Amino acid sequence: MPVTERVVGQQALDRVTAELGSLVGDARVNFDQIDVTCTPGNLVEVVAKLREAAGIEARFFTFLSAVDRTAFGGEERPDTERGTPLEVLVHLYSPDHATHINIHVPVDQADPRCPSITSVFGGALWAERECAEMFGIDFTDHPNLTNLYLPEDFEGNPLRKAFKLPTRMVKPWPGAKDPEEAAGGGRG
Amino acid sequence: MDVARTEENIRLPDEVAQEVAEGRLQTEQMVLNVGPQHPATHGVFRLLATIDGEVLVDAEPVIGYMHRGYEKLVEARDYRQITNLVSRMDWLSGINNEMPLALAVETLMELEVPPRAQYLRVVLLEMNRILNHLMFFASFAAELGAITPTFYAFREREDIQAAMEMATGGRMHFGYMRPGGLKEDVPKGFFDQALFGVRQVMDRIDDYYNLIIGNEIYKQRTIGVGVLDKELAYNYGVSGPIARGSNIDFDVRKDEPYLAYADFDFEVPVGLNGDCFDRFWVLLHEVYESARIVEQAIEGMPSGPILGKVPRVIQAPEGEVYVRCENPLGELGMYLVSDGDRRPYRLKIRTPSYNNVSVLPVVLRNTFVSDMIAILGSFFFVLGDIDR
Amino acid sequence: MFELNLSDWQILLVKLGLVLAIVPAITLVAGYAEHKVMAHLQHRLGPMYPGGFHGWATLLADGLKFIYKEDIIPAAADRKVFSLAPLAIFVPTVLTVLVLPLDETLVVEELDLGLFYLLAVSSISTIGMLMAGWSSSNKYALIGALRAAAQLIAYELPIVLSAAVAAMLAGTLSLNGIVEAQEWPFVLWPPGIGLIAFLVFFGAGVAELTRPPFDMPVAESEIITGAFTEYSGMRFIFSTFFPEVANMVIISGVATTLFLGGYQPIVPLGFLDAVPGLVWFTLKTAFMVFMLLWIRPTFPRLREDQLQKFAWKFLIPTSLVLILAAGAWVLYAPEGLK
Repeated sequence: MPVTERVVGQQALDRVTAELGSLVGDARVNFDQIDVTCTPGNLVEVVAKLREAAGIEARFFTFLSAVDRTAFGGEERPDTERGTPLEVLVHLYSPDHATHINIHVPVDQADPRCPSITSVFGGALWAERECAEMFGIDFTDHPNLTNLYLPEDFEGNPLRKAFKLPTRMVKPWPGAKDPEEAAGGGRG
Repeated sequence: MDVARTEENIRLPDEVAQEVAEGRLQTEQMVLNVGPQHPATHGVFRLLATIDGEVLVDAEPVIGYMHRGYEKLVEARDYRQITNLVSRMDWLSGINNEMPLALAVETLMELEVPPRAQYLRVVLLEMNRILNHLMFFASFAAELGAITPTFYAFREREDIQAAMEMATGGRMHFGYMRPGGLKEDVPKGFFDQALFGVRQVMDRIDDYYNLIIGNEIYKQRTIGVGVLDKELAYNYGVSGPIARGSNIDFDVRKDEPYLAYADFDFEVPVGLNGDCFDRFWVLLHEVYESARIVEQAIEGMPSGPILGKVPRVIQAPEGEVYVRCENPLGELGMYLVSDGDRRPYRLKIRTPSYNNVSVLPVVLRNTFVSDMIAILGSFFFVLGDIDR
Repeated sequence: MFELNLSDWQILLVKLGLVLAIVPAITLVAGYAEHKVMAHLQHRLGPMYPGGFHGWATLLADGLKFIYKEDIIPAAADRKVFSLAPLAIFVPTVLTVLVLPLDETLVVEELDLGLFYLLAVSSISTIGMLMAGWSSSNKYALIGALRAAAQLIAYELPIVLSAAVAAMLAGTLSLNGIVEAQEWPFVLWPPGIGLIAFLVFFGAGVAELTRPPFDMPVAESEIITGAFTEYSGMRFIFSTFFPEVANMVIISGVATTLFLGGYQPIVPLGFLDAVPGLVWFTLKTAFMVFMLLWIRPTFPRLREDQLQKFAWKFLIPTSLVLILAAGAWVLYAPEGLK
């Protein structure tokens, strides 16, 4: 069954906010996709509701990842508009309505914790393992939160902005055009 | 071209598993390490299989042997360099990988792409899809023990490959997409070569049907084997030919037409039961549909520039967007977070094979060792696409 | 004129020497044919360079390469059994050749129990497969060996039963006798019985050879040549390539002998009797080998349970019925028809 009723933009936003109500904070339209923010505590309920709610039915698990915004715009930022700079990002898609929903979940940067959504979406099993090793986020009640890619004795969380690529620390960035940037080693 | 399907062909390995579970069959389990070096894994992919005789009790894929950390690497490179980097994720469909990146930057920068560039992109994308699908046609058949399709598929691939090479200079990693259009216009003779290649495929696809899909042994090996449930596919984010094999009509080209896909007439083949047979059936049909798209695009090819008004240095403005394309293997999406620099602030790459393969432990449970090979083959994955 | 006075054992030695020389030679020719036939069926040229003319020396070069390869025995393997296994597979292959009548008199040893001997000897190689699989201490090898044992045992029965049909119709177990008893149009007479028995024999033969579509015991995309995963160099050649190709020729030869009239001319025309029987035998065998080569690039592989089903639920019942039919034919068919 292809897309039966196309629901994007403002119409989709209305449906999502009507369904979720106070479970989510800031909700808006971004390039026809829906951006919502919710707390870690509400995440499981939010994804479960988005999956089942009539008129939304975001059954397709697109991805789960995280964004570390501490160096956004080239400066250190202790917090952002959504709260803490580290956020878990879940993308769901509704195959029937072509609605995209990005769920931003700001988590505590010092002790990042987030409940696992594997009980709702099986596809999160690997995504959460990857996210855990790359960002150091602890997905509580994940059945097997071991490293997916990295060796067990790997130190650090590579996708955090604080983790610098060793090659960039000793060698200047080859793509740099400006001398001062090349000397600074980029921001990798 | 349709094949009659009967209930008798469907076999239940669960019966065997149940006998074991009830203790009527005393057996000893052993752990079989399939891979990292195994002919059926297309690269360094490992499957920890707990087997009981010929029955797989449990299977756990182990990935990461090819992890190159693209999501970190792209943060230190500008968009032009990333184009060539992401081309290497799924090495069988290089140009398809470059597409969502260009689209994401175009969306953030609000760049206009000239119509000729859009049509040319479609031609190249679809030709690449044919190349990819023919490769899996060959490898799946080879895993089932039929060696000849490999040579047939590569014969047809070569002519399309030659056309790709004329345009881009590359055979696997093309680096041809640019935000705003293409690197350069295609050379003289490209359209003739491309048409020759795809028409040849269209002519010969019936032979493939007769050789493989119509074969009684092939049907016995695939019908009812490795059934992927529809809900399970949604839950794990399974997309592409594998999802379509499970009776899910889900194709980004139709659902959210990007580029010029809305201008073309093509079908989305959808399977019935979600078994190996259906997945492969969908794959072969898609080759035909892609060939049709290429034909239409070349016939309606507009003239004009191939690059829009693009600033000399590409700097995406602050913002974030999720853009996805129909990669040959499924939905390839990129979530681009830009802070206004020449480099992306964060680029989450959502590859199709990653999600498709993550459902394997569920599908593989209680199958036979021989079925495991058929199922692995019918999940059409590329290791570079899983590990990134 | 000179007279050769050789004692019995000297004659035996000469014969043995000849067999040991001819069997590898035939294997090389058949192996080369396999390369070339498969290549042309797949729009390829196959080997073109070694030796000059259409790569005729490819297999010699291949053989040389394998001689120079390191002979690896895994540390955990049972060394004695591991080294003996290729012999247990290779020797029975050579032994089967001894009783095949290539021409009226051209046979190494004419045995009254030729057919019995042939079937008995050819089943020894199962033990070799099991030895190889178990001693390798490799899981893939073990699965392969068990698959091989199950398959060879299952298909031994239809082979024996369908060969028994040929023996019943001929009324003898001597291979020469069976050839002599056949009359034109060989396999088509008695109607139905001969042809079906031939097809059963041929189908089971393909399975005995562990060639596609019955190659699960050595399926390289599943269990990586099964029992021989750990073998390398000459041991590998003597346990896989050599017996497979040699057995292919032998099974074709046996099928020719039992069902296609062996060394008799294809059509009973008087002037054809001038052509030596060896030529007819070779032609018929070559045709059968070609059929086997043709099957390989055409079909995918069956699954292990489907293969067992095919043997136990189809081939064996069919051949049992055939035996009844053959018995009835021998006892009750009118004299003019036989």
